[in-house]
Amino acid sequence: MTETRPLRIGNCSGFYGDRLSAMREMLEGGQGGQGGQSLDVLTGDYLAELTMLILGRDQLRDPALGYARTFVRQLEDCLGLALEQGVKIVSNAGGLNPAGLAARIGEIASPQGLSPKVAYVDGDDVRSAAFPGALTANAYLGGFGIAAALASGADVVVTGRVTDASLVVGPAVWWHGWSPTAYDELAGAVAAGHVLECGCQATGGNFSGFRLVPNPAQPLGFPLAEVSDDGSSVITKHEGTGGVVSLDTVTAQLMYEVQSTAYLGPDVTTRLDTIELSEDGPNRVRISGVRGVEPPGQLKVGVTVLGGHRNSVDFVLTGLDVEEKAAWVRAQLEAQLTAASVSWSLGSLPPPDADTEEGSSTVLRCTVQDPSPEPVGRAFSSAAVELALASYPGFTMTAPPGSGTPYGVYRAEYVDRSTVKQAVHHADGSCEVIP
Amino acid sequence: MKAPLGWFVHARSGDKGGDANLGLWVAHDGVPTDTTAERYDARVAWLLDLVTPDFVRTLLPEAAALEVEVFALPNLGGVNVVLHGLLGQGVAASTRFDPQAKGLGEWARSRYVEIPEDLGGTP
Repeated sequence: MTETRPLRIGNCSGFYGDRLSAMREMLEGGQGGQGGQSLDVLTGDYLAELTMLILGRDQLRDPALGYARTFVRQLEDCLGLALEQGVKIVSNAGGLNPAGLAARIGEIASPQGLSPKVAYVDGDDVRSAAFPGALTANAYLGGFGIAAALASGADVVVTGRVTDASLVVGPAVWWHGWSPTAYDELAGAVAAGHVLECGCQATGGNFSGFRLVPNPAQPLGFPLAEVSDDGSSVITKHEGTGGVVSLDTVTAQLMYEVQSTAYLGPDVTTRLDTIELSEDGPNRVRISGVRGVEPPGQLKVGVTVLGGHRNSVDFVLTGLDVEEKAAWVRAQLEAQLTAASVSWSLGSLPPPDADTEEGSSTVLRCTVQDPSPEPVGRAFSSAAVELALASYPGFTMTAPPGSGTPYGVYRAEYVDRSTVKQAVHHADGSCEVIP
Repeated sequence: MKAPLGWFVHARSGDKGGDANLGLWVAHDGVPTDTTAERYDARVAWLLDLVTPDFVRTLLPEAAALEVEVFALPNLGGVNVVLHGLLGQGVAASTRFDPQAKGLGEWARSRYVEIPEDLGGTP
């Protein structure tokens, strides 16, 4: 592939649970008319740190799961449209089970008379190799596996844990033919990918300048990038969609979830202090000047373990003597609890003489955690409920406490690259190992 | 004058494991609307000078005992702040009010700071 025009790459998901209709919107928004801009590749990010825990628990129940099921629903609706338009779909929705997701896509395609070439990338799962006690342990892979899959003609590429930016880096590598040492170009694509990875956070969502976002009732459009062969890019969105792309919305996303002036990744270390932004017309922001250097020798691994079980209850406290009321119910409940950890937080004290009941009220939250489910389950909820007629005046709760829920703990670890065997499984069944 | 930090400073915050991340930068096109290129530059210089780890620990008293790192990004008109351990063991385990630090930036913007008159624009 020796195209020199910019790669047009969109995003239709920033997390597992994002707007279901976004895949269709991004495909249809690129169809002619209204100045729409067709896409070459449509990406979706489904894997937050927390998501691996959710998928890990899914897979404990059913080993065939472990992928983002909403992505399957989106493809059921949109696969035909994407194939007709020639838009490649690239997503990390494979989660803990990219092979299972690839197979599932085949199952939904054939009843529609479709036969997409589906490739998947794996090798990120290092649980058995390095973290046997963990619920999940997945190395953050780069974009070269995705690039190899696209180079072999895949219509759909699904992966496990890759960095969020890899979903843009991989297609850009494929499109422009960059080498693994084209660090400045790769860093430029990382910057574009980092802006796109959180969906509408690039177009006015979660944005402190929200008062300038036009037409509050219109859904925010999802972002897209035009990535040039020198790695520079323009961030924009389909014409006529809601929201705004401005210097500030792009800056917001570049500042998000970074931990230094160097953004470490598997393919390149991106120098955030070299990024230059400029306006390039309405709802268009250019990213240029991005410099990259050699990536770290080790790969980051997201490790999750089952931490225990938790539960919480919110008591509503109203009127006079709020602190004394809190102290009494706290003393009563704590005497009944056996959970390993009990924590309390009291909301703002209500003002005196408030003229509404709500204004005269505040919330006292009790949160419990324990390695085993029983102390935070019925033992906790019953102890709270049994105080209903036997505690402070005006006792009420925002909702009765439910059964406890398991929780996990996330931590970052690092492994040598030799621990990770990234592999692309092409549609024809062949397997290609990525060095 | 005393005014909220968010008068002309934008923010976005989030989580990385148990650490919170907070980006603060000077608005290009926000309110107040009397932003000139010269005033923008002066505001950036002021913000970069203002935000130190000690400043962050004072601005956000819940971080008073935490290790705080500040990284200058003058090319983006602001700073990136990392508040180590604010979220305990991370999102799923945290008993914190806002376990993913989604609102941390808006809290920071609502805090009152001393802003030089010549930077503040017209309230």
